[in-house]
Amino acid sequence: MAALGAWGSAVAPARLSRVARALWAWRARRCLGQDAGAADGGKAAKPSFADEAVQNLLYKMTGLNLQKVFRPVKKELKPPKYKLMTEAQLEEATRKAIEEAKEKLIMPPVLNEREPIDDVLAEDKFLEGTESTKYVFTDLTYSIPHRERFIVVREPNGVLRKATWEERDRMIQIFFPKEGRRVIPPVIFKDEHLVVHHRTYDDIEKHAKYDLLRSTRHFGGMVWYLVNKKKTDGLLIDMIHRDLLDDTTSLITLYHMVHPECQSAKEAKEGKLQGVDLIKVFVKTESQKEGYIQLALQAYEEAMATSTAS
Amino acid sequence: MTSHTPPHPGCPPALQHPGSTQGHPAPPVPLPGSALGVSGERRYRGEGEIGGLGGVPNPSPPPPKNPHPSPPPPSTEYRVTYGNKPVWLGYRRNHKGAIPPQRTRKACLRKGKPVGNPCPICRDRNLHVDFRNVKLLNQFICPHSGVVFHPTHTGVCMKQHKLLTKAIEQAQDHGLLWLQVPYVPVPRDDFSNQHPAVGKTPPAPVLAPGRPWYPWYEWQPPPAAAVARMRRLYKDYLKEETAPPAAGTPPDNPSTPSVEHRGE
Repeated sequence: MAALGAWGSAVAPARLSRVARALWAWRARRCLGQDAGAADGGKAAKPSFADEAVQNLLYKMTGLNLQKVFRPVKKELKPPKYKLMTEAQLEEATRKAIEEAKEKLIMPPVLNEREPIDDVLAEDKFLEGTESTKYVFTDLTYSIPHRERFIVVREPNGVLRKATWEERDRMIQIFFPKEGRRVIPPVIFKDEHLVVHHRTYDDIEKHAKYDLLRSTRHFGGMVWYLVNKKKTDGLLIDMIHRDLLDDTTSLITLYHMVHPECQSAKEAKEGKLQGVDLIKVFVKTESQKEGYIQLALQAYEEAMATSTAS
Repeated sequence: MTSHTPPHPGCPPALQHPGSTQGHPAPPVPLPGSALGVSGERRYRGEGEIGGLGGVPNPSPPPPKNPHPSPPPPSTEYRVTYGNKPVWLGYRRNHKGAIPPQRTRKACLRKGKPVGNPCPICRDRNLHVDFRNVKLLNQFICPHSGVVFHPTHTGVCMKQHKLLTKAIEQAQDHGLLWLQVPYVPVPRDDFSNQHPAVGKTPPAPVLAPGRPWYPWYEWQPPPAAAVARMRRLYKDYLKEETAPPAAGTPPDNPSTPSVEHRGE
C-alpha cells in the first residue's frame, strides 16, 4: 500500500477518462441550460460550467489523491481482505483504481436556480364545488426520465395546472421511492440547495480551508463560484504555498476565460505570457491581496533556487 | 419517563433537584440563577424578580438568545453514577438459560407498574430520550460503524429502543447528529428544463383573459330558425313585449314563477 500511496498522490492525469468526456460531450450537446441561447452566441462571450475547456481546467485543479478518494468510510465492519499480487497485477489494480476515482470525481453540474412552474392548462368552472380536495395526476410510465414526467393538479375550483417543483418531487418520491430520500424533505433542507453551497464556499474561503475539497467532486464547483465572484486570492496563495504552479496557471487561465474584459486578460493575450509571468501580471492588476501573493511567490522562488542550487 | 415511584434497589440514587441534567437540557427550562447549583431553594417566575407577581414590565429588552447554546456539562450525580462509561454498560438482563432471547422485553412499565430490573433508560428517570440530547443518543451508536446497537447488546426494552431509533433519525434530520452521507453518482439528466412537463408552455389561446374556456360558459344567442320556430309554436301565448331583446344580449331572468312553482 505504501508504494500505491506514493504513486497515487503523485499522479496528475492530464485528461478526463473516456467515460467522463463522453458524459460531458453528451451533456453539452443537450445544452445544460446554463446561458443556453445567450444573445452573444455561446462560448465566445460567456463560457459555462459545462464547456469542455472549463471542465478540463477544473479537473486538472481538482487533482487525484487516491488516498483521499478511497478513504475509509463508516459502514458495516467486515474483516479486511489481503491479496498477494505481482508488480504487473499491482499496476493493473492501480490503473483500475484511477479509472474508478475519475468516475467518482465527475463534478455535479452548476445550474441556475430552477424557475417556478406556474402554467395553467385548463379552467373548467363547471367543476367548481364538486370536489373538496385537490387531485394530483402523475404519469407513471416507467421508462421516461423524471424531468419529462407530466404531473398536473386539479384544484377544487376547476383549474388544471402543472404541479410545482416541490409537489413534483414529493409525487416522484411516493411512486418511485429512492433509498434515503424522504417524501417531505427534512428540516435542514429548508434553504435552497444553491444558497447552502454558496454559504459553504464563502465559509471555506474565509477560513482558507481549500484543501478540504481538493480531490473531491465539489472542488470544481467551488472554484467556479470563486472565479465568478472574483475572490480567487486566497486560493492562489494556498496553491503557491503547496507548490502547485500548474494549478495556479490553470486558475488564471480560467479567470481570463470567464472575465475576458479584465486588464490582465488583455495583457496576457498580447504578451502570450506563461507560468510565473502570468501570475505576476495577474497579481499586479486583478488581485486584492497583492502583498501576500508577492510574499508567497518570493518564498516559492527562493525555495526553488535553494533546491536547484543544493 | 413518567414513573414517580420511589427508587428500588437496582436504581441510581434519587436526585434532590428534579431538573438537574445529564449532559442535555431538561425539558422544563429552569430560570437563570435558579435552583441549579446556586442555592438550594427554588424560585418561581414572578417572585422577587421585578417586585412581586404582575409587576412592571422590564424596561430594557432581554438579550437575544443564542440559537445554539452549548449543552451544560454532566452534573455531579451523573458523573458519580456513570462516570465516563455509556449508560448501558454493566447492565445485565435476567433470563432463563445461557442464551438470552433475541428480543428484550416489550416495555419496562406494565400498566403503570415498573418491572423488576428495568432497562438502563427506564431505571433512571433523569435520562430523557430526545433528539436534542445528542450525548445520550451517541452512546447507543457504534463509534466505528455508525450503526445503532441492537437492544440485546445494550439491554434496553423494545419500547425505548423504538423511541431511541426515532430520536436518532430526527437528530440526523436536524443536523445534530453525524450521518454518513451515501455516495450518489451524478445523474445523466437533461437539466435544461426545456421539456414541456417542467418548462413553460404557451397558454391555450382560449385562456386569454376575458374569453371563457368553453364557449357555452357564456350565453350564446340561439339560432334564428329555433327562435322563429318557438315563436310560431307559442304564438297564441306570446305576450306582446315592448320589443324583442337585442340580438347579442341574454334575456333578463327575474326569478321565474315557474321555478318557484316547481319547487313547491
